Amino acid sequence: MTEHVQDELEAYTLGALDRADAERVAQHVGLCPFCRKDAAALAEVVGTLPDTVTPRDPRPALRDRILAAVRSESARPARAGSRPWSFGPMRPSRVALAGLLASVIVLGAADIEAFQRMTAITAQRDQLHGLIESLRQGGREWYMAGKDAFAGAGGTLYDPRAEGKQPFVLFHDLPAIAPGKVLTIWLVSPDSTWARAATFQPNGQDIQAVRINMGVSGFDRCAVTLEDSPWGPRYGAVVMESRIAPPTTAP
Amino acid sequence: MPEQLPPDDALLSSLAARDLGALAALYNRYGRLAYSLAYRILGESEAAEDVVQDAFISAWRGAGSYRRDRGNPRAWLLSIVHHRAVDILRRKTTFRPAPLELAESQPSDEDTALAAEKNVEHRTVREALEALPQAQRRTIELAYFGGYTHVELSALMGVPLGTVKGRMRIGLQKMRRALERTR
Repeated sequence: MTEHVQDELEAYTLGALDRADAERVAQHVGLCPFCRKDAAALAEVVGTLPDTVTPRDPRPALRDRILAAVRSESARPARAGSRPWSFGPMRPSRVALAGLLASVIVLGAADIEAFQRMTAITAQRDQLHGLIESLRQGGREWYMAGKDAFAGAGGTLYDPRAEGKQPFVLFHDLPAIAPGKVLTIWLVSPDSTWARAATFQPNGQDIQAVRINMGVSGFDRCAVTLEDSPWGPRYGAVVMESRIAPPTTAP
Repeated sequence: MPEQLPPDDALLSSLAARDLGALAALYNRYGRLAYSLAYRILGESEAAEDVVQDAFISAWRGAGSYRRDRGNPRAWLLSIVHHRAVDILRRKTTFRPAPLELAESQPSDEDTALAAEKNVEHRTVREALEALPQAQRRTIELAYFGGYTHVELSALMGVPLGTVKGRMRIGLQKMRRALERTR
């Protein structure tokens, strides 16, 4: 176990640590019953601070907005099978065989057989959709839209429902990155803790699949950053990010 | 006879069971407080509403993984609101703190404290905070509502990091004792 973090618990519970330190402290608190007990006691005091704030009313429409967003999200799995599938902004003509073959290398043995089947299909996205559906088996998915230099690129994180199937991200149209740089996939928890899920480099193909080596349960967002190092805390710029709220239209 | 409202823990269980009614009840109970907190941090109504929306949707998604030993449901929900709001605040300033004077001129609650005084529990917390020496109170407020890290506060206040940590520690200890005395 890492060193005790009592010295930082006040700043941690006040949210006054930078992201890297907060992640380190959170990790220790999760493992150490002594620090966890102290953190819980401090959190109780810090949790009263909102009571010092002047009460303000949000617009009444906010309540409806939230409930509508959740209703829409709840309804999405039922619609998923019937609505036409798409790669978001990806151009179907660029669903290249070479990219799919590259996916095999990254995804590993567990899914090789399934992905080899991809080599037998053409660029028709309905067929490809069927294959991905078979991998994820109704699991969840998040779409990350690229921004800035990554505008036009994107990636969908699939969390297969089937036991033993690992989550993976299918990227499209990734641009080249500078030598020495890497792309890192992060999972973000509701309390904004960022967990490093995978690191990779674009392979130059139109499509690239990257396996996630951890479960996505408990996370509600994902993002990709451009980093100098394949390990350590997040320093680089966010180049892709999923939405927190479900989109109003299907991605 | 007044209607018996379900306790927070029961609401969270219902939320985990995908009960939309529980989400509505949770919003009715804490939506205003969540918005007030987000507004206090961000100073913008639209951004504050977005934070509240994100927080409740996160609660909806994360209710199944909620653990009681990490805080009660109210504290859990408000911590999501706080994290999101501070995250946005820091991103807006590109992680560079605004001048301390600017942060201190953000909407203060001094002028409208009377509204909070109506609630006894809120008044107790406010009094406990106000009873702190100014340096401790400023440190806690700038950290929690201003989104400053303790390292940034050390630079901005011109005091060693250890002093910032000490002010946080002693300030929160005093608040805890004051709150315990009233319970």
